[in-house]
Amino acid sequence: MSVLHYFGAALGLGLIVIGAGLGIGKLAAALAEGVSRQPAAADKISGAVNLPLFLLEGVAILAEVFVLLVVLLK
Amino acid sequence: MVPQEHATTAPDAHAPGFDAGRLIIEHVANSNPDHPLIHLPKVFGIDFSISKHVLMLWVVAAAVFVVVTWIVRSHAKQNRQVPSGLLNGLEAIVEFVRNSIALPNVGKKWVNAYTPFLLTFFVFILVSNAIGLVPIFEVLGLLDRYVLHSSDHSFVKQVLHGGSTTTANVNVTAALSTITFLTIIVAGSRAHGFFGHWKNLAPSGMALPLYAILIPIELMGMLVRPFALTMRLAANMMGGHIAILAIISFVFLFAEIFGHALAGIGVGVVLTVPLAVGISALEIIVILVQAYVFTLLSAVFIGMAIHAHH
Repeated sequence: MSVLHYFGAALGLGLIVIGAGLGIGKLAAALAEGVSRQPAAADKISGAVNLPLFLLEGVAILAEVFVLLVVLLK
Repeated sequence: MVPQEHATTAPDAHAPGFDAGRLIIEHVANSNPDHPLIHLPKVFGIDFSISKHVLMLWVVAAAVFVVVTWIVRSHAKQNRQVPSGLLNGLEAIVEFVRNSIALPNVGKKWVNAYTPFLLTFFVFILVSNAIGLVPIFEVLGLLDRYVLHSSDHSFVKQVLHGGSTTTANVNVTAALSTITFLTIIVAGSRAHGFFGHWKNLAPSGMALPLYAILIPIELMGMLVRPFALTMRLAANMMGGHIAILAIISFVFLFAEIFGHALAGIGVGVVLTVPLAVGISALEIIVILVQAYVFTLLSAVFIGMAIHAHH
């Protein structure tokens, strides 16, 4: 059973990476598109992208901490 | 989470084989609670002993205070208008925090009230993140191994145990985000009055049953924000160190699996050193970004309390 435990934690970690990667990728794509269409507004666009990016990162990190807790509090 | 960190740090160096988990925890965690640097009595059940992270907090605070005071004073003595030398760098940091973190979020009216607070956070977090990447205690450990030969319970051995990044400790970041939490309340109270701030939590003029759902959600959101700040900073700082240590552990793991030192050295040359250098470079970006993120989110939350439009 203990192997299944680690298996679940590793699977969860992979899922987190998929989700966070998709989210960050979408934000970066939108940022690149927006800046290439209107280079003058680069500062404003990256400012608007920053906050959701960090919130997304926070969620991913929280999930990783919980996965770590699942492993540690076996 | 903290008790587990300490639980696995029993000081027996004669365990058979190489234990990567114990090595990593020992290099990330605080001092062993049974052997802090300086024993102090408990007050109201709280242990006030000086552990390694407390020492590093003091080092960071002293370094920031001395350097900034020295720069500003040496400029003030010269009696000239244009800044020179290190003051240019200091001014760049101050202007960055004021113009691109505080001003867009807090607003023109309050920018001078909250810039010092945000600036303190930024510089303190940046320096305490950065000091974790400087291998002070690793060099000291090397000296101890080959030159000093100190005894098992000497001060040097106690200092060597544990990581030097204070911001990788959940307790430190929890304290920092508690300050943010209180500042949000103070900012809202100063802008709208004490009761006005609490009224702003939920929009007015809605059906009464809706408030039964809305108020708990808003209260939860109020508490989740500092919790997310805490975990983000601590987990990011700890994660990078764990990754570097895990990659360095490969050398010893492979040497043990193949029973030959050459295997370990080969893995070290081919895999470990390039990867560790890469992750260290990434860490330099991460320390800057995390100091920026903590400050920015503090500013955003303060701004949300000030500009509550309901």
